[in-house]
Amino acid sequence: MGGKHRRSLSSIGLTRRDLLVGSAAMAAQGPAPFMTPAAAAAANGTMTLAWHTAMAPRWLDPQEHDGTATPDNFLTALHDALIKNSGTTLYDHPALAERYEFAQDGKSATFWLREGVQFHNGEPVTADDVKFSYESYRGALASAFKAKTESVDVVDKRTVRFRFKEPFLDFLLLIGSGNVTGAGWVVPAKYYQQVGPDGFKRKPIGAGPYKLAYVEAGVKLQLEAFEQYYKPVHIKQFTIVSVPEAATRLAMLERGEADIIYGLPGELIDRVKQNPKLMLAPVLSGSFWLELVGFQDPSSPFHDKRVRQAISLAIDRKAINEAESGGLGKVSGNWINDDVQYGLTWPELEFNLEKARALMKEAGHANGFAVNWLTPLAPFYSRGERVVAQLQAIGIRAKLQVMERGIFLQRTQSGKQQWPGVQIIMHGARIGGTWVNWYESFFKCGGFNSADRVCVPELDAKLDRYKTSTDASERKLLAEEVQRAILDNYYLVPVFRHAFMNAIGPRIAAQKWQDVFPTITTGYAYPWEDIKLKG
Amino acid sequence: MLQFIIRRTCYSIITLLILSLTIFAVVRFTGDPATLMAEPGARAEDLARVRAQWGLDRSWPVQYYQFVQNILSGNLGISFNYRMPVSELYFERLPNSLQLALAATLLSFLIGIPAGLLSAVRVDGIWDQTGKVVALLGLSIPGFWLGLLLILVFSVYLEWLPTGGKGDWRNLLMPALALGWYFAASLLRLTRSSMLEVMRSEYIKLARLKGLPGYVVIAKHGFKNALVPVLTLAGVNLVVMVNAAVIIEVVFAWPGIGRLLFEGIFQRDFPLVQGVVVLAGVMIVFVNLLIDILYAYIDPRIRLMR
Repeated sequence: MGGKHRRSLSSIGLTRRDLLVGSAAMAAQGPAPFMTPAAAAAANGTMTLAWHTAMAPRWLDPQEHDGTATPDNFLTALHDALIKNSGTTLYDHPALAERYEFAQDGKSATFWLREGVQFHNGEPVTADDVKFSYESYRGALASAFKAKTESVDVVDKRTVRFRFKEPFLDFLLLIGSGNVTGAGWVVPAKYYQQVGPDGFKRKPIGAGPYKLAYVEAGVKLQLEAFEQYYKPVHIKQFTIVSVPEAATRLAMLERGEADIIYGLPGELIDRVKQNPKLMLAPVLSGSFWLELVGFQDPSSPFHDKRVRQAISLAIDRKAINEAESGGLGKVSGNWINDDVQYGLTWPELEFNLEKARALMKEAGHANGFAVNWLTPLAPFYSRGERVVAQLQAIGIRAKLQVMERGIFLQRTQSGKQQWPGVQIIMHGARIGGTWVNWYESFFKCGGFNSADRVCVPELDAKLDRYKTSTDASERKLLAEEVQRAILDNYYLVPVFRHAFMNAIGPRIAAQKWQDVFPTITTGYAYPWEDIKLKG
Repeated sequence: MLQFIIRRTCYSIITLLILSLTIFAVVRFTGDPATLMAEPGARAEDLARVRAQWGLDRSWPVQYYQFVQNILSGNLGISFNYRMPVSELYFERLPNSLQLALAATLLSFLIGIPAGLLSAVRVDGIWDQTGKVVALLGLSIPGFWLGLLLILVFSVYLEWLPTGGKGDWRNLLMPALALGWYFAASLLRLTRSSMLEVMRSEYIKLARLKGLPGYVVIAKHGFKNALVPVLTLAGVNLVVMVNAAVIIEVVFAWPGIGRLLFEGIFQRDFPLVQGVVVLAGVMIVFVNLLIDILYAYIDPRIRLMR
């Protein structure tokens, strides 16, 4: 596994003490000095990224962040945030802010901007821009920020203070997670108001390491190094081109038409491995797990913990990882990624058919039982097929149900009525920030994706305590208790964490793939300004 | 003639209305696009905001009325995904699709017509047998497979041509061949059958009896007359190639309308899918109307048919 240098984040907690010393820590990380144009002029050469889907212009506007991981790939090139997730830093990597201070009572946060930072149009980045960006933000979690914020005060040109109506302990974590929300990303107020949201998407101006040179909607973005960026930008021209077909992307890499490609399917992995000029970048990404629908219903075979445990024991996770991610995913166990705050690291789950069969027998299902459908998240149907085949070994006879992605998401947002009989859902997700985002979405009673299918009130009560607590150690304890309860009781059965397979071409300077993909909270290759060409 | 034109125009309008209603309903049967605009983990209020923003919270009849009203005023709506007017996106991609379609048409002409001609002239001979094999392969080889094979051979192994994207003539060659291959096969078959039919006609026999040389009979009397249905098919093919070269454009990362449609379907971008389909429909209906009128002009019997 290539991720050795990545530190485990399960123990990282956002405490008030941590936050207060955050500014010191940021200083210790050595925020890069403001680059003079002469120093940054060293940028040269070109780099092409073959992007795996179409490119939506809304991803160029942080004001309309859709809450997914995709936009941060573009935001980190064109724009910059006060603080952000970068490298092994979860959320408070110094960016436009050279330091911050979070009040002891959790009711305010103050940021000091770096001196001399500019937007691509030469205008300085000011506290007014920060205030405008935050107040006019309308993307993911906008309502949550608005509900909790009392005011945004411009203290002086470089200092801005956020005041909250109540302690807002997750504030820094949220605004610093570029793959969760765009509220912390700064746009030029004057320009944005002048051109409006649509005009901004067509010709975005930011304060990021690259400025837009040319755009062909959905097809191509040509970026040019921003010489006034506060860090050195090594590559002069950066092109992102949309190539939906994976085999074509790989051919581009092999021919040198692309330098980095995203999203390689399993069948192409060996072709990269066999080519000594190319480097595979298996970035750990989303987790996959099974939801045993209706496990709380006494009439359901899943009501018996022994059945749920037997299902877990019957899954050969290593085989699935090998087949689906070329063995480069991770088979150890939590359904929540451990790269989010308080995400619990869990040991590898056992594969033991004998024990599984014994448990099924004990539970009165010696001959197994029929499952109407096992439905995997689209388009990961082959993963579902493998689980269906493996469950047969303990007599569980399931049929695979294939759903188009949109329908699947719609159905998972609805209740038990939409999943009649005996059903298993194979979910997959990558959610940033904190473990709470996962729990609230997929496990909470009435949660957005759990609806009325999953409900364990005592765990929800712990979540409520967690959310109102200002004691960091208590919060951590509660977070771990809740996750442990889910795993110990097999309420959800983790399958594996897959690898988002990317590849790097021979022109990029990299000793190991992590040199190009250093940011642990994403599958993408940023920070872009740090990538270098050979020679 | 005028009555005929009016009747045909009315049919065309009805066809377009049915098409607009069908595509409007079909895209909505596929589900709620808001679920795709926000990935797992999104909150209910985020989805409600998205639906309200795009008018998806209104009833279908209201949405359809708005859709038709917008089309009539030349507004195809704003793409959910691109946040740009659909017409702007369409016409931005149209030159690329036209370029590809024209190149593919040219290639299909170069392959299909001479091969069809040769097959018809040498019926059951080696050329005819070869032509049949070519036609069979052309109609049965999937475009995506041929495209990937071309990339593998000419880009990766031989390193002669770029893999994809838009650029100079070298970028155009493989996608045009992959796209034109199928149409070449269909042209080959049509040219062959059309030629065979013409060659059996009385005036060809007469031309031969007059002692005209074989090549004159074939070229001047046979081929010229056999070309009418071939050109009609080529015209319709061209419209189809412009609007529906989805797979080829995806495989070769060609920024055309087919790929735009693919992206629209993938993202449930209702206005985009509706707009592209309606514009394609308008083109096809218009070309057919034009052909009908031309036929009626040439052959007065058609005007009297209902």
